[in-house]
Amino acid sequence: MRNGLLFFLGLFAALLITWAGIVLGSNAQLGHLAPYFDENEGKAYPENTPGIAARGLLVYDDLGCAACHTQQVRRPSYGSDKARGWGDRQSVARDYMRQSHVQLGESRIGPDLSNVGARKPAYDAEDLYKLLYTGQGGMPSYRFLFEDRKVIGEVSAKALNLVGSLAPAPGHEIVPTHRAEALVAYLLSLNNVYEYPEARPVEPAAAEKGEHK
Amino acid sequence: MSSSNDPRLPQAGASDESLLAAHEKMLGKKPDEQAHYKLLPLVLLFVFSGIIFYAGTYLNHFSGNYDPAVFDEHGHSASGNAAPVKLDPIVVGRKSYEQVCSTCHQSTGLGLAGVYPPLAGSEWVTGSEERVISILLHGLKGPIHVKGVAFPGAAAMPVFGQVPGSGYNWSDEKIAAVITYIRQEWGNKAGPVTAEKVAELRKKEGDRAEWSEAELLKLP
Amino acid sequence: MTTASHAAVTAEASNIDSSARCTLSFLIASALAWLLVSGLLAVLHLVQAYDASFLAHCPIFTYGRLGAMQETASIYGWAANAGLAVALWLLARLSGSPLRSLNWACGGALFWNLGVTLGLVGIALGEGTSTSFLHLPYFVQPLLLVAYAAIAVPGVLAWTGRKQSMTFASQWYAVAALFLFPWLLSAAQVMLHFAPVRGVLQAIVEGWYVQSVWYLWLFPLALAAAYYLVPKITGRAIPSYDFSALGFWTLIVIGDWTAGRHLVGGPVPAWLVSLAIVSCALLLVHFIIVALNLRGAFSSGGPVLKFVAFGLFSYLVGGLWDAVTCMRSVAVITQFTWIDQAQTQLALTGAFSAIVIGAIYFLFPRVTGQAWPSATLITAHLFTTVIGTLGLVLSLVVAGWIQGHDLANPAVSFADIAAHTSSWLHFALAAQALLLVGNALFALHFIRLACTKPAASGVSVFAQPPAMEASAS
Repeated sequence: MRNGLLFFLGLFAALLITWAGIVLGSNAQLGHLAPYFDENEGKAYPENTPGIAARGLLVYDDLGCAACHTQQVRRPSYGSDKARGWGDRQSVARDYMRQSHVQLGESRIGPDLSNVGARKPAYDAEDLYKLLYTGQGGMPSYRFLFEDRKVIGEVSAKALNLVGSLAPAPGHEIVPTHRAEALVAYLLSLNNVYEYPEARPVEPAAAEKGEHK
Repeated sequence: MSSSNDPRLPQAGASDESLLAAHEKMLGKKPDEQAHYKLLPLVLLFVFSGIIFYAGTYLNHFSGNYDPAVFDEHGHSASGNAAPVKLDPIVVGRKSYEQVCSTCHQSTGLGLAGVYPPLAGSEWVTGSEERVISILLHGLKGPIHVKGVAFPGAAAMPVFGQVPGSGYNWSDEKIAAVITYIRQEWGNKAGPVTAEKVAELRKKEGDRAEWSEAELLKLP
Repeated sequence: MTTASHAAVTAEASNIDSSARCTLSFLIASALAWLLVSGLLAVLHLVQAYDASFLAHCPIFTYGRLGAMQETASIYGWAANAGLAVALWLLARLSGSPLRSLNWACGGALFWNLGVTLGLVGIALGEGTSTSFLHLPYFVQPLLLVAYAAIAVPGVLAWTGRKQSMTFASQWYAVAALFLFPWLLSAAQVMLHFAPVRGVLQAIVEGWYVQSVWYLWLFPLALAAAYYLVPKITGRAIPSYDFSALGFWTLIVIGDWTAGRHLVGGPVPAWLVSLAIVSCALLLVHFIIVALNLRGAFSSGGPVLKFVAFGLFSYLVGGLWDAVTCMRSVAVITQFTWIDQAQTQLALTGAFSAIVIGAIYFLFPRVTGQAWPSATLITAHLFTTVIGTLGLVLSLVVAGWIQGHDLANPAVSFADIAAHTSSWLHFALAAQALLLVGNALFALHFIRLACTKPAASGVSVFAQPPAMEASAS
């Protein structure tokens, strides 16, 4: 490698080719993904998320929830994702097309959150507030997302219904802050259950042809 | 040298110039003609070929034909599992009926006595395909007799088809779905209507005004 | 071999080293400061891993933010500063003339570290981006790019102004790392943060950036040091050197194609993952060549050679491990578990850090013209590094293996998984603490050496090395 210029060109070409192949290639394939219009339902999927959920995504970002939670369901024949009730089908690219920041996550210290809004039995906001406030198992409590304040007049409709050792001091109430409200709205908006054509499992006949590696 | 083994002072075993020169010489030189040196490239060649062979085979089997819609490596192309969702005329028909038709004919299909004729058990609905399609496509004006009861025609049936003057512009598929739905709901047991049939009639009649009972009765 | 002492041979410690003393000291000192910060954060992070209530009331130290700060401090703080210091010194040495435009590097290093500090504060206050390897808040990212370019200036000048037309493997790796990283960083910044791509493409670009940082930046920096130190210390030419170019280009060309490495089973097209699996296998070509070339590191030698040998061992094991754990049938268990963390630790703490620390032990006495004050401290550091890294990686592997099998069984709850892995995470914590202690000793040792006034006769403490003979073994 005596020729410095040629060496640099080689380096640059190697980088450019991989970048084009991986990034531009997949962008060409997925960059123009459109919502899927279902004639039967008369609606396009994935559905748009409400504005408060978009703000909740920012809270999810800045607290670093993705450090413990993934947002990707693997197909039923690959891992226990379906058996754990995280989703009946594999997550596909279209599920994420409306999210401003995609956080697939790399670690499952806690459960997958792709379909929190579609759990059975369904979570309601109160359940999630309590989970965030008290923590559970390996999940820490996020008390700083709540305000412990004096009751002025009537108890707020938003106040958490806490009993036992968790109950606030007499005359006090625990209410979620705006951040907590946005986060919970975001979590409840996570609902990717629509069956896209590409999300259907591969026919067993096709699966037999390829040896599993 | 006394300090050569002092771990506090890592000594060099070669000068930079000689290091550069020695390696440069090796790059430019033809391989040694000694036997032990010639064996290595051969072994490596086999090992590397093996790895490349594995890689090629794997990619050949599990690339999913580089299709962006294949997420399971066993899938070969999206066409196998990605057939479009089949339109269910009953589902689409019910939805359209509930949204629009039920305002007059009611969800029960019984209509409103004296004003809007019933659809449940109506001979116009379960009878001739051509007549019911025509009513939806171009509308109906004037008095009409249904199940032996006379309706004076206080309210006109709107124009639903993709024809001039229509306020709805429903597609042929949607009209077919709604008719199929009303022909099979509320105990009605007539056969489905196809979108092709609707298209055929729309083409035949083209631009025309609302039908009257007399005109409809002339149709087969 | 003859002891060459004719005029053409420069002294072993010359003004090439001493003229860069200021810049290199600053880079290494900041690197060590970040190494301690990241070690401390890693300890706190591991405590939280088994005791979720630890510091839970404090929004600055949520588990996610601590992890992000730790990763940022170790990559942009420790690895960048230390790797750049070693690369600059190597390029100066091999070009045969002192580094030029060192003011640029000094200023750049100042702003780089300012940027990383601001970034860490930003993450703590909730400005982090939750993007792997690029958690830094938006506002410091362009600053880092500019600062990096300034630091790299002397390196590029040393390459273009080299005295000999011949080049050596170390130079290829060092120049590639210096040259490619700004492109990676700017592409990732634009495509992820300033004009983000849509939907799942973000995850693909993120994967591409993470793998690029490993294969086009951190590993080349470490290999540059290893390819120089092994023949330099042993005095023997690199065996099978004619394969080294192949090894270099396989890393540069194939490394990036592993972008889908951590997306196995994910919502990305299957070809992307298959390509990553295949590329991990093809990279074995690179690892085999590196093992052949640098097997001299495993011969007996001083502590520097031992650090390099341990780093190379981690590097080679890591490469093989990568090729195995990315296979779909293995990843179904290992993905999303502590095993992924173990792999990161093996690559960063094991491969990269051990080699770069070895290089610092080698270069800093030359830069200051002094011997290290204490042999015991060096030995202690070597032991804590080896035992700490192995302990950390092995306990995380066991924890991850348990976690992976528990996750595969839907009857096991997350509370049970936490209970099953808890004791192994304690081991990991102990190992992480040991690493921190060792690195603190290293930092103290470094300060002692840096504060010693250079002796007038410092240069002469280095024996004039013999000339290397070109002998293919």
